[in-house]
Amino acid sequence: MRVQQVDDERGLALCEDAGGQRSSVEIALVDPVAVGDELLVHAGTAIAHGGAGAG
Amino acid sequence: MKYVDEFRNAELGRALAGEILAEVEPGRHYKLMEVCGGHTHSIYKYGIDDLLPGNVELVHGPGCPVCVLPMGRVDDGIAIAHQPGVIFTCFGDMLRIPGSDGTLQDAKAQGADVRMVYSPLDALRIAKANPDRDVVFFAIGFETTAPSTALTLKRAKAEGVTNFLCMSNHVTIVPPLRALLDSPDLRLDGFIGPGHVATVVGARPFEFIPADYGKPIVVAGFEPLDVLHAVRMILAQLAEGRCEVENQYTRVVPYEGNRRALEVLAEVFALRPHFEWRGMGFISQSGLKLSDAYAEFDAELKYSVPGVRVADPKACQCGEVLKGVIKPFECKVFGTACTPERPIGTCMVSSEGACAAYYNFGRFAREKLVV
Repeated sequence: MRVQQVDDERGLALCEDAGGQRSSVEIALVDPVAVGDELLVHAGTAIAHGGAGAG
Repeated sequence: MKYVDEFRNAELGRALAGEILAEVEPGRHYKLMEVCGGHTHSIYKYGIDDLLPGNVELVHGPGCPVCVLPMGRVDDGIAIAHQPGVIFTCFGDMLRIPGSDGTLQDAKAQGADVRMVYSPLDALRIAKANPDRDVVFFAIGFETTAPSTALTLKRAKAEGVTNFLCMSNHVTIVPPLRALLDSPDLRLDGFIGPGHVATVVGARPFEFIPADYGKPIVVAGFEPLDVLHAVRMILAQLAEGRCEVENQYTRVVPYEGNRRALEVLAEVFALRPHFEWRGMGFISQSGLKLSDAYAEFDAELKYSVPGVRVADPKACQCGEVLKGVIKPFECKVFGTACTPERPIGTCMVSSEGACAAYYNFGRFAREKLVV
């Protein structure tokens, strides 16, 4: 998912998937993140930078 | 799309298939197991099986967390969902997993307040919006998903949310792999390692596979070229007489994993002495419960659950499918009595389940052969 906005205070980022769906993502495990970063997200939590795809 | 298009290049795929063909020894049969539901899904969705030589067989292991959940745990979840005042939350796949007397979807139809969420954070939001009711999150998944539950519990604790509870069904990947390798039923030549679990735990925990069992393992990504590349790397190890952990998914997986995620897991969870796996029985230290520091959030301590071990329906062969002993289409009820619309076994429910993946993407090719 691609980061659209970062809320450092709450440790969340607004992210958008390839289909344009947006959701809040927990970023505590991968911060710092910046707008435009690609994150690998599982169950609402980013677990790594980069690497979109299935699974 | 970055990280996707370049790993679905048909020309490169054909080239890799050619390299794989050149690598195999004629007359030798290779059996490789993937242990991640995402890989199972990719293999069927992209027809990767069809690109491999006939003597390279891919078998599917216990990599889909919904599929390995035993019926008794579903019954326990349903029992909590029926408690007065409880809002029971779970991922969408879980709603249709059969227990011994129905599903969570059936419980909802009977009046239980069961809600689908996309993340534990959604469940926490529901808890904050309903402070007079207990909100129970049915947590499920391998080490990939467990950090999400752990972070949400940390957040609930920090924000003083006392009506958020968790029923943990999180499991770990190494103990079932050991159980499979110790099983006399199965002769495997190598493993396609679970890329997303390895994002969290790293590649190091898999070193026991070459060290103790003499089998190669390649941690792989989920695009078609990732899987083909991993097969190529395993075959190269076998051809060269090597046996080690290799990381094909370097664009995401650090060899040491995600240290912060591992710290959060260690703080919030503790290993259960044993946990039941569908088709595999009880496996020592393979399940996670909430640690003492988070006991106040443990739904199983607040609500009594049946905790009864329930045998799978006789017709269902999910256990054999999950151990890679049979292929989905070899199950007696596959595609007839058991379909994604009316599943008997868990492997037909989740999109990552081998039966559902095969039913949705692979069965037509086989039907054509039969005709």
